Amino acid sequence: MTTVPGGIPIPVDWYLYLSAALFIIGAAGVLTRRNLFIILFSLELMMNAVNINLVGFGGFHQNMTGQNFVLFTMAVAAAEAAAGLAIATALFRNKQTLMVDLFDTMKG
Amino acid sequence: MVDKILFIIFAAFTVIGALAVITRKNIIHALLLLVFTFLNIAAIFFLTQAYFIAMIQILVYAGAIMVLFVFVIMFLNLRTFQQEKQTHRQRWVALALSVLVLAEFVAVLYGVTMTSAKGGFVLQSVQGGFSPAQVAAAGGNNAVFGQTLFNNMLLPFEVASVVLLVAMVGAIILVKKEKNAQLATRDWEPGTEPGDDEVEEEV
Repeated sequence: MTTVPGGIPIPVDWYLYLSAALFIIGAAGVLTRRNLFIILFSLELMMNAVNINLVGFGGFHQNMTGQNFVLFTMAVAAAEAAAGLAIATALFRNKQTLMVDLFDTMKG
Repeated sequence: MVDKILFIIFAAFTVIGALAVITRKNIIHALLLLVFTFLNIAAIFFLTQAYFIAMIQILVYAGAIMVLFVFVIMFLNLRTFQQEKQTHRQRWVALALSVLVLAEFVAVLYGVTMTSAKGGFVLQSVQGGFSPAQVAAAGGNNAVFGQTLFNNMLLPFEVASVVLLVAMVGAIILVKKEKNAQLATRDWEPGTEPGDDEVEEEV
């Protein structure tokens, strides 16, 4: 029973498959790309995968907490974007590059 | 039925857009594709009847956060990076691991849905009292969203504002010029901590 009579007509496992695919795409972007901006974009993709999961399960369980929680995820994503971009600006000012494997000052 | 077809279309666009984001060389192209992905995710939220979240997704995510990214990308001169190598040496290992984890996710989800389709108690709706009909009777998605947010989650809401404030202050301090930062903090002799003298006199 992945749909409820009178509820959201889309089966909940479809949301889960979509969310898993989106999360893995984001993780692959973080792991493979060198550009700091693409890594930040991939982080946003992963956060959106979490949001899809929350909204999908909220619709399935007919509960508003999932949608409420998405608001907090978005607040954290906005904070992360602001801090990440500030760090990117500071790094670019010091090193004149944004390729993350060149930031090896603390490498032992 | 129409909902399911629309979901498949938007989900396909979402996945295609996300794959395009992580394969672009040009950051602006990747960013625009990311906005496209977010708009498709907002459409999926609309299909789930989470109307407020869908509008927030468009306004805050595809609007504000992405404009912040555009600002910084235009602020820094990043055009030279397209000639450089775009991926790490570890890319094939990372891709293989990603595909492996995706296969694991799909296997677990397929197993769970098959078990619950046969009647196993795995994936059953708890029917939390906010079915689409009940939400419509209580004043619509926006009203119910606001009521539940400020009744059940008032403290997390306030904490979120503190998180945003900390991020704002941190971002301002990080991007401030080094010269100004020194002017702001150099009101004691270098090499000593402020308040050292008083502590020694007391001892």
